[in-house]
Amino acid sequence: MSSNCRSGKPRPFEGLRVTDLSWVGVGPTVAKYLADHGAEVIRVESATRMETLRRAGPFPDNEPHYDNSGYYANFNSSKLGITINLKTDKGKKLLKRLVASSDVVTESFTPGSLKKLGLDYEELRKVRPDLVMISMPLFGQTGPWAHYMGYGHVLQAASGFNHLTGWPDGEPIGTGVAYTDFLVPHIGAIALVAALDYRRRTGEGQYIDFSQFEGAIHALGTSILEWTANGREAGRLGNRDPEAAPHGAYRCKDGRYVVIACFTEQDWEGFRAAIGRPDWSDLERMRRKWSRLNEQKEIDRHIDAWARELTATQAYKAMRDHGVPSGIVKSPEDMHRDPQLKHRGHYARLEHPTMGLRTYDSPAFRLSKTPGGPWKAAPLLGEDTEAVLKGTLGMSDEEFTELLVEGVLE
Amino acid sequence: MPESVDGVPSPHPDGPLSGYRILDLADEKGQLCARVLGELGADVIKIEPRAGDRTRANGPFFRDEEGRESSLYWWAMNAGKRSVTCELRLDAGRELFHRLVASADAVIETSAPGTAKDTGADPRTLATVNPGAVVVSITNFGQTGPARNLPATDIVGSAMGGHMYLNGSDERGPVRTTAPQAYAQVNFQAAVGTVTALYARGMHGMGQHVDVSMQEAMANAMDNAQQTWDILQINNRGPGSGRMVSGRVGPRYIYEASDGWVAALGLGGLAGPSSAAMIDWLEETGEAGPLATPHWRERLEVVQPLEPHEQDLIVGIVEKFCRTRRKDDLVRQAQARGAGWAPVYSPREIVESYQLEARDYWVQVRHEDLGETFVYPGAPWKLSATPWKQRGRAPHLGEHNEAVYGEVLGLDPGDIARLRRTMVI
Repeated sequence: MSSNCRSGKPRPFEGLRVTDLSWVGVGPTVAKYLADHGAEVIRVESATRMETLRRAGPFPDNEPHYDNSGYYANFNSSKLGITINLKTDKGKKLLKRLVASSDVVTESFTPGSLKKLGLDYEELRKVRPDLVMISMPLFGQTGPWAHYMGYGHVLQAASGFNHLTGWPDGEPIGTGVAYTDFLVPHIGAIALVAALDYRRRTGEGQYIDFSQFEGAIHALGTSILEWTANGREAGRLGNRDPEAAPHGAYRCKDGRYVVIACFTEQDWEGFRAAIGRPDWSDLERMRRKWSRLNEQKEIDRHIDAWARELTATQAYKAMRDHGVPSGIVKSPEDMHRDPQLKHRGHYARLEHPTMGLRTYDSPAFRLSKTPGGPWKAAPLLGEDTEAVLKGTLGMSDEEFTELLVEGVLE
Repeated sequence: MPESVDGVPSPHPDGPLSGYRILDLADEKGQLCARVLGELGADVIKIEPRAGDRTRANGPFFRDEEGRESSLYWWAMNAGKRSVTCELRLDAGRELFHRLVASADAVIETSAPGTAKDTGADPRTLATVNPGAVVVSITNFGQTGPARNLPATDIVGSAMGGHMYLNGSDERGPVRTTAPQAYAQVNFQAAVGTVTALYARGMHGMGQHVDVSMQEAMANAMDNAQQTWDILQINNRGPGSGRMVSGRVGPRYIYEASDGWVAALGLGGLAGPSSAAMIDWLEETGEAGPLATPHWRERLEVVQPLEPHEQDLIVGIVEKFCRTRRKDDLVRQAQARGAGWAPVYSPREIVESYQLEARDYWVQVRHEDLGETFVYPGAPWKLSATPWKQRGRAPHLGEHNEAVYGEVLGLDPGDIARLRRTMVI
């Protein structure tokens, strides 16, 4: 692909071809990393089994159309899109032809689905011996839960995030998002790229059985060891932290929230200066962190009263000017206006054929010499079928027409 | 790679990253990143000042006894690494450190932009010392921009990264996940950047700088809220125990069971493709109420907007049904009927999970210094040719000074003794 060389600099994954059979959030995000960094990623879909996210909003003007889902678009930047009906024999053969010319296959079906189609790793490696393939269902390829269904909103429950998110006296509400869908793709991508590097060095491909559940557990901090070594269970602490006081989110007079975190005595002194060194902050029991940790109720009451008189911006600036780790709880609207994110160009703006100019998430990292980032809007359903089959696979006009007429390319 | 006296870390020649050496100068934003790369085969060397890395003081502590070697945080994030001490504020220390940098494939550092020049550990100096190395800088807001030097911790990353706004409720406000997620996210995303740069180095023959932002890492965890604002100018926000769709709070998705909680979207699977099987289940136990009628069966078969009172009716039925049953039983039965339920597990329940047992997930890690063995999380991936491997407990302070300075830099015991006497190591 030459069109993605905006900067004239090489891309890390230039020359790699990826057949992306995955769907919904996790798999497509893993393949997005490769696409945004220069690989030719061919997303394979079918109109006979429409990708769930193409039916999920947001849609421009609130008018649902499978080409116009912002949800789908964000996970599929920089990719090509083709349609193949894998239930047809010719469709299966066609997929094998595509895989034979691919370096990577990504998939996130329920375990066994590809085997039923005769398209599992054992079959695909016959046409491409050095293939790197990653499967990434919720619970892995084996075990009693291998066939369990669900989405990230529910997997966060099994993997501990509900237990650890909320108030101690309240329900395990979890995060408000399909959390693991935005955590485990990064974990999957680490192994996939490491396997590609191994292949670069040795010529050897391999199969990666990635269980989203098993990856997510590595994001629980010390929670597992607290149980296995100390026999104690971590719980949800609202906005408190066992190691900092004060530590929380405080409502300001404009209804927005400021967060304040004092881990060190220096943070605490900065905090005191920021709020004008009131008498309560100089009490003996406030002078050391270990003792402040027992006074958090009282401290929070004072901060609540202080914050109520200020806008979130005023409260944040007071803390910031005194070097206290603090921030504003930013809404999606705030994020789009955030000067730091603007400066970094975090939200890429790309022209989509039917959705117009839309924003896409960028990787959290910038590579100085082989930069990446979204460079093309997500594909329409089947947008590149003809170009990929005739161009990449060298298919004749006759054969293409035949497959089209027989419904293989639906 | 010679083993330390205790066999920590254990060798891992079969990992996909075996043969790479990575120096770890990181705090909470990068230690997990380095650990994971070590578990894929890299030789990860943690560089510490003689007094020990600051994070050795992070709680909680083993048996609540504070100490340099007893931080569970340290254990979790630094397991399987080697540790050397080196005083970067001394000329001799910087020189020693730069010799290690010259031998490394990647360096992971988390200093605030512009602050590490006097230690010789700033990205520019590192790149000068070893132009072929991948230098990974993980910071709160990135190397550039107006916020680049602002202090932050996990909750600041969650707040300024837009994720926290989407958690919590209108009544109680936004809430952070108690196990730090801004730190977890930036570690994993930095690891993707690191392996991508290592791959690019192999393909294009050059080292480079990887500039990672915690704020941006968290911004990538906003689900579809970013696009919902871009496309509809609607702010999603914390929906409590419900689910947020385009600014509206949907019905609850967690239900109390007799022994905890379960999570279930789509009115517990009673709306949509699994509705018939789920209504059958309620009918079998005589708890379906009006849902067993043809009217409701038809209405719930296809996902369609329901009136609030209709939702309340169904939620009430599911709530009552769950309250008398165990969560694992509920989940097993619901899954058999095509509904994607999951139990709300605590850390203990995760450790006791029969799914993870069947997958042989957990690893036993020997702490020979304590005469004990503890269970740690196991392989995040099963790679067929180049397996993941847990490399043993976290290192003691300076545990590998002899091995690293001797083997990597070729210093003899006399040199090492001199460095020790002059308080360089």
